[in-house]
Amino acid sequence: MMEKCQFCGKPATVHMTQVINNKTTVIRMCNECAAKHGLFDKEGLPFAMLSSLGEALFSGMKQNLPANGLICSKCGCTPMSFKETGRLGCPNCYKDLKLLIDGIIESSQKGMIHKGKYSRGRSAESAVNVADGLPNVFPKRHAKKLSMEERLEELQEMLNAAIKAEQYEEAAKLRDEIKTLKGLS
Amino acid sequence: MNDFGKKLFQDSKLAKETIPVVVSSRIRLARNLADFKFVKYACRGDLHAVSEKCEKVLSSYPILANNTVFNMCDLLDYEKLSLVERHLCSQEFIMETNESKLFFTDDHLTSIMINEEDHLRMQVFRSDLNFKAMFDKINAIDDHVSENLNIAFDRRYGFLTACPTNVGTGMRASVMLHLPALVITKQIGNLIMAVQKLGFVVRGLFGEGSEAQGSFFQISNQQTLGLSEIDILSRLTQIIKSIIDYELNAREIVKKERIIWLYDNIGRALGILRGCYCLTSIDAMNCISLMMLATDLGYLPNILRGDLNQVMMKIQNSHMQVLENRTLNANECDVKRAEILREFFAAVPNLKFD
Repeated sequence: MMEKCQFCGKPATVHMTQVINNKTTVIRMCNECAAKHGLFDKEGLPFAMLSSLGEALFSGMKQNLPANGLICSKCGCTPMSFKETGRLGCPNCYKDLKLLIDGIIESSQKGMIHKGKYSRGRSAESAVNVADGLPNVFPKRHAKKLSMEERLEELQEMLNAAIKAEQYEEAAKLRDEIKTLKGLS
Repeated sequence: MNDFGKKLFQDSKLAKETIPVVVSSRIRLARNLADFKFVKYACRGDLHAVSEKCEKVLSSYPILANNTVFNMCDLLDYEKLSLVERHLCSQEFIMETNESKLFFTDDHLTSIMINEEDHLRMQVFRSDLNFKAMFDKINAIDDHVSENLNIAFDRRYGFLTACPTNVGTGMRASVMLHLPALVITKQIGNLIMAVQKLGFVVRGLFGEGSEAQGSFFQISNQQTLGLSEIDILSRLTQIIKSIIDYELNAREIVKKERIIWLYDNIGRALGILRGCYCLTSIDAMNCISLMMLATDLGYLPNILRGDLNQVMMKIQNSHMQVLENRTLNANECDVKRAEILREFFAAVPNLKFD
């Protein structure tokens, strides 16, 4: 059964347990009343905002129970340490904690695939130089716009190359991307 | 005033050029070096190496060379806070300042934080809504950075950031708006809800966790992945333009239906600003907000608008401590604030109502 806010009767989303001299009291409130009563977390975020962020983060976690056994091989970051700090440990976390991160991204972001600018750096040498949707007003050098077919062709080539080079992890990523793109068209 | 104060108070274009409703706009990019742990997990040695590498690359960029660089750990607490008040760095940035550095240009329109939540947080500001100009500027800096540093980037996830809520473009664009009429007509609550439903975040004057004072609201994009930079910027621009229309409409309605109430509130606010001897920050912000509305509506000379922005900065707690070159307690701040405002508004001409 949904608990009700003690102040206004709306569904309660904030549950505060107070322990004073071993006596425990539970206060249930809706977001608005919690904010009204000045309940803020230690970083000063009002609960109303915090809980929507929390929902986004934790719905991701719930959907991906297998995420609990994950650990980043480079920095040791785990879903638990992410839950505590709200931060990932290193760029490699995006690979080793993919299950966890994809859940969070799915519930908080617009899409799963980067559509913006590509880095010009060394780490992105293998990257295709394409950014969907960047219009003419922005510098064209980053935004060679390809049609969906051209992009698919390019990805297929990269997939073949990855299989040839036995980079199966990379190949799996590319395969997923091709699948997503085909799903879109 | 000491050297720090001079840097802080050096001419800020942002404060001088103004248009109604829009106070300022900002684009911020988050970037990380591929070969290091993210800031929260990195050891001191790594942070030092990141800081050195970034500083070297940044100081070789034309508009950043020969500009101000602060080692954050060398600054006093109120000096750090005054930089937050100027929006040159974030609240989070000044919490843990070992190995963190802040770059900013003389015009205060470009600032770069090294070792904030991400290794690099680069931001540009303007006093209007020209996102194209801002994006060109920040994009050029970003190109310079990514050509010279090994930036963490993945074809699928885009730019990798310490928090997955910034991944992808790593871009946050925000606009500070002055919406007194929407507050007066109580439409602001609905507007905030509507904006949030569209995937944008509404915050107070000093960003995350801050309250809305003086009817100032900051609106920024929440989503960074699955959208291109231009998608984000054009959607934000659209939303901002319609909010500006709502605000201007609401001002007409207030003028039509509650003119006496409006004159009374503006008149009293000027009275307080001219006669106060001890004024809290929130009261001061609300009064100044009404003076800004008065200049927009032509009750005060328009030329004052830029000065009002500057005086609003000057009466923030930490700015006054920089001015005085010493720590002030809350009461001393209220007294000093009143002194600055009394002097400023004594020179302001009387209101000319229609």
